[in-house]
Amino acid sequence: MDIGYYPGCSLHAMAHEYDISTRLVCERLGIHLHEITDWNCCGATAAHSLDHHLSIGLSGRNLAQVDDMKLNQVTTPCAGCFSRLKTAALELKKTSMQDEMEHMTGISLAGAKQVQVSHLLQLMIEQIGLEQIQKMVVKPLQGMKLAAYYGCLITRPKAIAQFDDPEQPVSLDYLLQALGAETVNWSHKAECCGGGFAASATDIVVDLGGQVLEAARQRGAHAIVVACPMCQANLDTRQRAIEADRGIAYDLPIIYFTQLLGLGLGFSAKQMGLNRLLTSPAKLLSGQLG
Amino acid sequence: MPVDFYKPMRLNEMNSSLQQEIKEACDTDVELCLECGKCTGGCSNAHIFDYTPRKIVQLVKMGAEETLMNMDALWTCVSCQLCVDRCPSQINIPRIMDYMREKAYHQGVKARRSNVQLFHELMLDSIKKTGKVAETPLLIKYNLSTKQYMKDADLGRRMFFKGKLNPFSPRVKDINQVRRLFTRTPVHKEG
Repeated sequence: MDIGYYPGCSLHAMAHEYDISTRLVCERLGIHLHEITDWNCCGATAAHSLDHHLSIGLSGRNLAQVDDMKLNQVTTPCAGCFSRLKTAALELKKTSMQDEMEHMTGISLAGAKQVQVSHLLQLMIEQIGLEQIQKMVVKPLQGMKLAAYYGCLITRPKAIAQFDDPEQPVSLDYLLQALGAETVNWSHKAECCGGGFAASATDIVVDLGGQVLEAARQRGAHAIVVACPMCQANLDTRQRAIEADRGIAYDLPIIYFTQLLGLGLGFSAKQMGLNRLLTSPAKLLSGQLG
Repeated sequence: MPVDFYKPMRLNEMNSSLQQEIKEACDTDVELCLECGKCTGGCSNAHIFDYTPRKIVQLVKMGAEETLMNMDALWTCVSCQLCVDRCPSQINIPRIMDYMREKAYHQGVKARRSNVQLFHELMLDSIKKTGKVAETPLLIKYNLSTKQYMKDADLGRRMFFKGKLNPFSPRVKDINQVRRLFTRTPVHKEG
């Protein structure tokens, strides 16, 4: 399967291990990723917070390039980028918006609005399938008790995401179960981690992220599994601040789902960049928590 | 009970023009509000908002533009999209928040959380210059601009040893295509 790939800024910086594991896992699953040639930032929270048209234009330009590459689909591992790309694709379907944006960008967006956008998790579930993935597992994740964390934008708003249940999603749980892990039934799988406020309103991330960590701890999870670099960064980099705030040592590794999928498919922890996480998953990986 | 625990809203200035404006710009109709409060019940940050989502919808109906543009909630909304998905009438409150914030920003209304606005501006400035966001330089600029020289110094050290800090700024080749998009919002912060 040939598909456009939009890594987004984080995957070329802090979330490098998400990029590495995504590429290796996709290759193994027969998904041929073609990185968008000259992609730009989707604008993330900043653009849609201050300038709606800028936000649509930035993603419109990326979608137009997918079309130029003669591909009709694009996937991204970032929940934020996914939401922005898909919002743009839907907004561009309005003739007035397309005209306005073409005038602004100076490029044709007729093909851009036809591009199908999916989050990487969605692509794997809907276009590869759990059955197929399960068949390819060579090293089951036995003894791992995991909290599947979806955050906000993979499933919400439902009119944009059009994937899974907006508040009680199950796809990531099923994927982890297919890999042989146990998933906990918990309250905060689709609550917010604090989004783009890690630097500018750290208090909000410590508050909301703290609730997520606490909910996972109460269910006895060994780790939280994420499908978004922003969720990972908030829960991992702010974990010490959260521990100080709550007076509880969480020591919960925040792992990308592609990293665990890779382990199940036979890649090593090092190949999956598991050594790059701030909160070490070493205990989990050596089976001491079983 | 503290005096400002509950801020009553007075219907002394009924004005439907904002409601109409929102209907056209945000493609959402606040007239359909059932006042059920599910938006506020689901809201991630209602506990720190000065005006909760349900009140915000009422403020739109009242045409209370000044209040909306000056509220703290405009800058602490995390855009988690719970309110819109729980609303029985699909009122798109996150879009209303974006619209009012954009309007306030363009009119030069002072943001109640100036650091949040500053961070957005620095990020847009990076996109305008290079087409992408380089996280490490962005965070350094932010800490310098807010004079928080030691903020996250320890975290930065830990991230450095994990190879998570990348000092390089990647660039989009056809940068003029990106810059053309900034005609509406000339980012004025120099990073």
